[in-house]
Amino acid sequence: MILRSLGNLFMALSAVMLALPIVVVCGAALNSGRSMFFPPRDPTLVRFHEFFVSEPVWVEALTNSMIIAFGSAALAVLIAWPVAYGLWARGDKASKFLAGLGSMPFALPPIVFGVGLGFLWTFLGVLGSIWAGVVSHAALFLALPIVTISIGLQSIEKSHLDAAATMGATRAVAFRTVILPQTIPYTVSGFFFALVLSFNEFIVMFFVSASSYSTVTLQIFNSLRNGYTPTMAVAAITFIFVSVVVFSAVARWGDLPRLMGAEPTKS
Amino acid sequence: MSVVSEPSSAVPQMAAAAAAKRLPLARIGIWAVTLFLCLTPFLLVIAISFGQKIEGASWEWAFSFANYQRVFVGANWPEEFTALYLQKLYYSLYYAVIASVLAVITAFPFTYLMTGLSKRAQSAWLVFILSSLSLSEVFIVMGWDVLLSNRSGLPMVFKATGLTQWLKDVGWFETLRDWGLANPRDVKFKTSVFATVLTMAYLVWPYAVILLYPPLSRLDRSMTEAARTMGAGPWTVMRTVVLPAVRLPLMGSVLLLFVFLLGVYVAVTVFAEPAKQTMAVSVYEAVRGNTLNAPFGSAQAVILLLTAGLFLALGQWLTRRNAS
Repeated sequence: MILRSLGNLFMALSAVMLALPIVVVCGAALNSGRSMFFPPRDPTLVRFHEFFVSEPVWVEALTNSMIIAFGSAALAVLIAWPVAYGLWARGDKASKFLAGLGSMPFALPPIVFGVGLGFLWTFLGVLGSIWAGVVSHAALFLALPIVTISIGLQSIEKSHLDAAATMGATRAVAFRTVILPQTIPYTVSGFFFALVLSFNEFIVMFFVSASSYSTVTLQIFNSLRNGYTPTMAVAAITFIFVSVVVFSAVARWGDLPRLMGAEPTKS
Repeated sequence: MSVVSEPSSAVPQMAAAAAAKRLPLARIGIWAVTLFLCLTPFLLVIAISFGQKIEGASWEWAFSFANYQRVFVGANWPEEFTALYLQKLYYSLYYAVIASVLAVITAFPFTYLMTGLSKRAQSAWLVFILSSLSLSEVFIVMGWDVLLSNRSGLPMVFKATGLTQWLKDVGWFETLRDWGLANPRDVKFKTSVFATVLTMAYLVWPYAVILLYPPLSRLDRSMTEAARTMGAGPWTVMRTVVLPAVRLPLMGSVLLLFVFLLGVYVAVTVFAEPAKQTMAVSVYEAVRGNTLNAPFGSAQAVILLLTAGLFLALGQWLTRRNAS
């Protein structure tokens, strides 16, 4: 029993350690002055108003972040579907190669991919356009929906497909009535994983934006040199909040342990 | 994997023919998109790494190994040998190795304990871990910067609680100074190897949990229980049952995190001393920073890429060797 309490202590300690810098940043957001202190002096919520409403720099950065996150996540899911479907339906060497290729940007150091995308968009003459940013993130996070959709497709029971076929369903009908409904939670999870990671991504966006627009993370990095302001901490809170909400939703409506690779529970 | 081929036998022939006509086009499309987006950027970096910088302008295509020579032996070789960029590569590897090993060693017991919880509790922990995982590098660096900064962070806490004075009294303060963790008066963590490695380990810790979660949650708990009933103590169970079963995932996780950490930029620029910066920072300086030498930056990026590829391949090889 000593061992169990030691284990609990270790888990609690890990949680504290993990939360420590986050708590510090969040606390600093309540400062009323221009400098960041912890614990905050004269707690106020003015900084939240600045971030969301009154400071054009931050509002614009937030808008860009949202456009890129939603756009790239949607695009990543659209590209990932046929890749994952091919991998599941055919499972040949070519499909595996394609899936591996799609996961490559995520597996290798992002700074290299960022430099390469910078060159690519320069050649195409679209460096610094926000759409190039959307496509860049879609490529970077393509691996996530490929993985979640693959997990979803593998969970479809063969008997359902056989039943559909016996009852005379065409391929298209079977796809619409059996495959699609069963994989929607996994598709949505993939979308949200890509969304949240895109929201927080820094280095690739740094190279492809070419300073012609900024996202929240870029804006924060730019402000690092001038010292921290509490408004930056508000940005951090917003991002953490979005992550917690999104992953809670995935846990609530999807099967988070399964998505993370735990053995499926027999029901 | 022939799951859909059977229902397709029931598909009327006309629909099948239509699908066959449509399918190659769609397949070519998806191949083209994936190749274009995921491969061309890397190919461009490789191609440009052989290019040349034009003084005062940008760069031109060429085929020379001058950039690689500059990385490995310096621009003026053989008259003069400089290991400046090799040193940067060394620090890239140095930080990444320590931080990835540290992260996996601490994440392993945590994940093992977590997989023993109820599914609900596991979900809650996973939400917490994933939120922390997705949190941007810039926010994490910001948080640790506030915590470690000399004016407001831990050094002030040390001073206020009398810990600094106590360290001085017992003589450990001098040791800290030798390690570069103190100035003549107070302890300081910025800039230091300690702060860099700590932040990098923190950065990948949630990844380590996510990577170790599948093998640990699939671990057959009846095996550990059997060992326990046969009288093995908890440490013996850990050593003889659990660790051998997850040895490979542990090593695989270290490799993956190592590769991830090779490209860390923000944490290194903020926490590492100027003389101990990494190749990722150097890539940035060459491509976007003051020197504006895209081919030279690309050459360094290729070296990072090769290092990453080498270790990923090593991981693959280890997995395959174990499987056979």
